[in-house]
Amino acid sequence: MRWVSDDAERRAVLAEHPGAALVSNELPLRANLTALENVALVPQYRRDLDWTSAAGEAMALLERLGCAACAGKRDAELTHAERFQIKLLRAVAAAPALVIIERPGYLLPDIHYPPFVDAGLAALQGCFGECIIVDYAWNAPLYPAR
Amino acid sequence: MLGFADPQRRLRRRGVVFVAWIAGWLRLLRFGGATIVAALSPSVYNPATRAVVARQIYFTAWQVIPGFVLFVAVLSAVLVRIVDATAREYGLSQFATELTMRVLLLEVIPLTAALFVSLRSGAAINTEVALMSLRNEIEALARAGVDPMRFEFVPRLVGCVVSVVSLTVLSCAIALVIAYLGVYGFFLWGVPEFTRSVGNVFDAQITIGLGLKCLFFGLAVGIIPMAEGLGGSREVHTAPVTVLRGMMRLFFVLVLIEVTSLAFKYT
Repeated sequence: MRWVSDDAERRAVLAEHPGAALVSNELPLRANLTALENVALVPQYRRDLDWTSAAGEAMALLERLGCAACAGKRDAELTHAERFQIKLLRAVAAAPALVIIERPGYLLPDIHYPPFVDAGLAALQGCFGECIIVDYAWNAPLYPAR
Repeated sequence: MLGFADPQRRLRRRGVVFVAWIAGWLRLLRFGGATIVAALSPSVYNPATRAVVARQIYFTAWQVIPGFVLFVAVLSAVLVRIVDATAREYGLSQFATELTMRVLLLEVIPLTAALFVSLRSGAAINTEVALMSLRNEIEALARAGVDPMRFEFVPRLVGCVVSVVSLTVLSCAIALVIAYLGVYGFFLWGVPEFTRSVGNVFDAQITIGLGLKCLFFGLAVGIIPMAEGLGGSREVHTAPVTVLRGMMRLFFVLVLIEVTSLAFKYT
């Protein structure tokens, strides 16, 4: 966890890790692609996989996170929770060493988000190295003691 | 004091507008250069990029063929009739075929194809890229390791170039048939003379010129809407202005290419 007290500090934390895979409200999904296509794009372009292999990998990730039902939905049709899950999958699809989830409350405004984020990260254990959640200090009481 | 200050302020504002205008053209040239170089690099075309290129060609060129062919057939029939009737009226019927081909095949059809693709695909590309830029989708793609040049820009450019060139070639073939039918009717006795006229019109210089013109039309239709979409302001209310500016710039460049081609051909 990284607690920040204002926007400048949040930006400074993000600037410390320019190569990290980022899950952020400021990095939207591609609007004209389905959830599955958004995730599959990463292996297609980072590892030059063809569509069948990339879609297979992406579908496996969606199933692992329990959101395979939204594979055919586009960004506008996704709920906040589904959108967060797809962004998280897009970030981990390249098996990064570091994933940063910034301001999860901004991504998940209508649920008690700390357990939801933890459950997602637990389901994807092994797909990434380390994860840092960057949140404002005043949201600290929402998180269980770690 | 205001009377003295106003001209200065106006001049400064004009200067700012002029500098922004120049900067816009420079940005367009830089983006165009980068996109053309990327499009010519074989390493850009992985299976995913090839699939997107094929989809773009389908949407930009293949899907529009029936409508465009019908439009060109009607336009050709009308123009052939006008040129043929006018040539006969002035006692120049021996030049009717050549005149028809010069007007129709070398000037009207390539420009019409470029304008058609501009209105159908160019406007859509301009709007989509402007919205992508507004929503920060391009940065999101880049951050996820997906090169926007390979995924978004090169396929659109290739789609536009293929579309303009293929629609022009197809339309020219149809216009040739219609021109023959318009001048000679459903008889075969005019074939040798018609073939000679086609040969007279399409010498090497003219054919290369036509090919280059189509290529430049395609490049303009692909590059300008994307560059303008990318260069627009990040505020939602300016999106219509971004699209409008892109389409105006595209129209200006298409006319400039046409005029330059005419100047080379007839001077």
